[in-house]
Amino acid sequence: MEFSQFVQNLLNGLAIGSVYAIFALGYTLVFSILGIINFAHGAVFTLGAYFTYTLVVGEFSNNGLLKGVALFPDGSPLSGNPLTFALATLLGAAGAGLIAVLIERLAFRPMRSRGADPLLALVSSLGVALVIVNLIQLLVGAEIYNFPSDAYGETPPALSFTLGGKIVIIRTVQVIIFAVSLVMLAVLGYVIGRTKIGKALRAVAENPTTASLLGISVDRFIVITFFLSGFVGGLAGTLVGTAFGVAGPYFGVTYGLKGLAVIVLGGLGSIPGAVLGGLVIGLAEAFVPAEYSAYKDAVAFALLFVILLVRPQGLLGRAAIQKV
Amino acid sequence: MDDFLQTYGFLIATMLQAGLLGLSLYFPLQAGQLSLASPGFYAVGGYAAAIMLTNPAFAGLRDTLGNGMFPLTWLAGAVLGGLLGVIVGVPALRLRGIYLALATIAFVEILRVVALNLTVTGGAVGIFGIPQAFGFQDRWQYIFLFLPLLLLTLLFARQLERSRVGRALRAIREDELAADAMGVPPTQYKVLAFVIGAVLAGLVGAMSAPFLNTWNAKQGTFDASITILAAVLIGGSRNIWGPVVGGALLAAVPEVLRFLADWRLVINGLVLVVASLYLPQGIVGALERLGRPRPPQRPTSAPVSAAEVKS
Repeated sequence: MEFSQFVQNLLNGLAIGSVYAIFALGYTLVFSILGIINFAHGAVFTLGAYFTYTLVVGEFSNNGLLKGVALFPDGSPLSGNPLTFALATLLGAAGAGLIAVLIERLAFRPMRSRGADPLLALVSSLGVALVIVNLIQLLVGAEIYNFPSDAYGETPPALSFTLGGKIVIIRTVQVIIFAVSLVMLAVLGYVIGRTKIGKALRAVAENPTTASLLGISVDRFIVITFFLSGFVGGLAGTLVGTAFGVAGPYFGVTYGLKGLAVIVLGGLGSIPGAVLGGLVIGLAEAFVPAEYSAYKDAVAFALLFVILLVRPQGLLGRAAIQKV
Repeated sequence: MDDFLQTYGFLIATMLQAGLLGLSLYFPLQAGQLSLASPGFYAVGGYAAAIMLTNPAFAGLRDTLGNGMFPLTWLAGAVLGGLLGVIVGVPALRLRGIYLALATIAFVEILRVVALNLTVTGGAVGIFGIPQAFGFQDRWQYIFLFLPLLLLTLLFARQLERSRVGRALRAIREDELAADAMGVPPTQYKVLAFVIGAVLAGLVGAMSAPFLNTWNAKQGTFDASITILAAVLIGGSRNIWGPVVGGALLAAVPEVLRFLADWRLVINGLVLVVASLYLPQGIVGALERLGRPRPPQRPTSAPVSAAEVKS
């Protein structure tokens, strides 16, 4: 591989890997607090993209439903402005966060209060995913929606530079994805590592019973966790949507599964692990040679399988303590 | 009777098939192992049958054997499923709980991507025009295949449960370390239960390829894993009738809800949510409890989980 090709793959891998990372953070946050995997996370990712699309364009071609709900319709002074798009993205992510809270309230909390089998929580969250995905399909159809090309305003579509006589091209949207992900990771890292909320969250994750004895309202922090989880999931949805278009109701399914590979690779429940896992899988996919690109989707799962056999606790996870 | 079979026969065959797949997941679950690999073995068994029944390479064999070809494809499906079960099971069963579940999901996904890209499996299009088993004229006639297999499997499961092996599996499910200490080698028994499930899934796949007439990568997906798991949990995972009842029920729901047209998948999701919230022991578990006198009330002190006591 030539050096310029190497750099190109590296940049592509970092961009997609950072999306995997923030998406997987949502999974791992919930897992670290509740010890369950929320299979509806992929559906929340999809919703984030749809919410943002609704705010920016406000119209779905299928049946005209949601017509005119755009906050920033075409031709208004605010459309085509990167700040407007950023605001819509944040609102979309917040909407996804609220949905995640709703999911917790309806599908997880009733089960938690009865101390049910975690397997049932898995089935329940799958049921929720099925409901969301099919509702989207019923309401706005299965088409691919593309964000307007001027979403970022006047920014050039791609940046390029020469390296050893070869041109390396990186799309602006990739740069934005990478930058937003980094900022998001930094903010989340700060919230969890340095603030009082984060301290309480970690206490709940460590031992809910002790945390509640110490006066921490466990239910409230579970709600906060789900909101954060939905927020980063929805944000990842919009980011991927801007890069590839919002590809129908099943948009999030692949990400949902790959996100699982990411968090196990990094270490279930580990936040730095989710970041590392995302970057590793993004890079591994970017370096799949073109002639094997059909097998790209298997890379994450092959890595997952291998890591489970070699180091089941993941790259950065703690080994589970065997209780005797 | 004829009218009845014309109308409902296909649905009944589908329900029996779903019950069988539920049982394939039940065997490892009996040893406490949550495996989601069944659709992988099912897909491989189906591909084996589909290839043997349509590929020109097997034309000579088909001419010689005639209808005998079908039992041969079942054998191939079962053996392939079993072999793959050993290959995957030996390393994967070192894992527990959610990790085993994720490893088996990874296995199913890898198989799916491979099936999508091979020529012999027909790539993304898959294999179609698979001839009907024994020249069946109607799809409901597959009841003649699925029903005996289901009865045999139930009989086998019942005998297994009562045997030494069955007791060992239950011991491992309740407490692996204790079982190990009592001289029950957990790994061997866990792999055994996993392979039994794999053989069954491979066999059902081989029977289902002609039933569905076409076979493609959609047969073995994550969605399929989840549907089967949901069937077992909703039916009840502690009794051999649970997977059968759950499988049959979940296979019937979309048909029964046909009048809801586009809404039925939404309702399907709601059924999963409501059932997992309100039937934690599954339908069979709930019925069992109805038939039994209430256990004496426990003292109402704060519940302390076993894990907390131990740590």
